[in-house]
Amino acid sequence: MSADFRLGLIFGLVALAAVAGIIWRARTGKAKKISGGEQIDLAEIGAIKDGKPVTQFGSRVTFLQFSSEFCTACRQTARLYRELELVHPDVLHIEVDITNRTDLANKFNILQTPTTLVLDSHGRVTSRIGGAVKQQTIQDELGTFEI
Amino acid sequence: MSTTTPAGIDPRGPRFGAAITSALLLVTVYLALDAATLNIAYYLLSAATVLFAIGALFGNSKHPYGWIFRTFVKPRLAAPKELEDPRPPQFAQGVGLFVAAIGLVLHQLAVPSGLAIAAAAAFIAAFLNAAFGFCLGCQIYVGLQRIGIIRKH
Repeated sequence: MSADFRLGLIFGLVALAAVAGIIWRARTGKAKKISGGEQIDLAEIGAIKDGKPVTQFGSRVTFLQFSSEFCTACRQTARLYRELELVHPDVLHIEVDITNRTDLANKFNILQTPTTLVLDSHGRVTSRIGGAVKQQTIQDELGTFEI
Repeated sequence: MSTTTPAGIDPRGPRFGAAITSALLLVTVYLALDAATLNIAYYLLSAATVLFAIGALFGNSKHPYGWIFRTFVKPRLAAPKELEDPRPPQFAQGVGLFVAAIGLVLHQLAVPSGLAIAAAAAFIAAFLNAAFGFCLGCQIYVGLQRIGIIRKH
C-alpha cells in the first residue's frame, strides 16, 4: 500500500469516528413519542425511592429511569431529574437499576442506559428517552404535561 | 444501585487517557497497513493491550495515563464540576483489552488485516470517549447481559 493511500485510510477512519460521534450526540437524550404506551406496574419493576417502595405516580409526570452499574451518564441524568423534582413537587423521578434485572431489560427492550420512560399521571408511557437526557428534552416533556 | 460505591474520580482523567490511547491506536493502524511496518504495529498493539490490562484490573488511578493526568494536567485545571464512578471507565478498559487481544491473536494466526481492523475498532471507541464523552459501559453493558455474555452477579 502506498503511503498516500494509507494516510487516506487513516483520515477516513478519523472522519468516520467523528461523524459517528456527531450523529450519536445529536440523537442521544432526545424524547421519542409513544402512542398507546403500556401501563407501568410499580410493584413489578420494584420501584424504590428513599428506601421505600413507590406506590403512586407523580401527579403531573413521572420520569422512570433505568440505570446500570457501569454507567457514567446514569449519574448525570439522575441528578438532572432530582433537581427537577425539587422545583416541581408534582414531578416524580424513579431510578431502577437493571444490572440484575434482565427481565426488565427484555420487557422494555432496553439496549442502553440510561433509558427513561416518561409516564403520565396514570403511569402510562407517553415517551421514551434513550441516553443521557438533555435539559431541553426535560423542559419539552414537562411542557406537554402543563396543568 | 450497588451497595458499595467507590470514591469518585475526576471524569476528565479517563478522557485524557482515552485521547492518548486513540492517538497510539491510530499510529498502530497506520503502521499495520504496510507489510514493512506490520511488526512495529504488533509491538504497539501489544503495549496498548498491556495498558488496557492495567486499566481493567487496577483502574484509572493506577494507570500510567492516570498518573500523568494527576501530576501534570490536573493541577492546571479548575476543580471538576462533579466526580464520577471509577467503574464505568474500568469496564471500558476491559472491553479495550478484549478487542486489542483479539487483534494480537488474529495477527498470530496470520489473518490478513486482522490487527488493523481490531486496532481501528478500538480507536473508534477511544476516540468517541475522548472527543464526545461516549461511555461504552452505558451503551453495551445491558445488551451484553441480555444476550448472556455477562452473567448476573
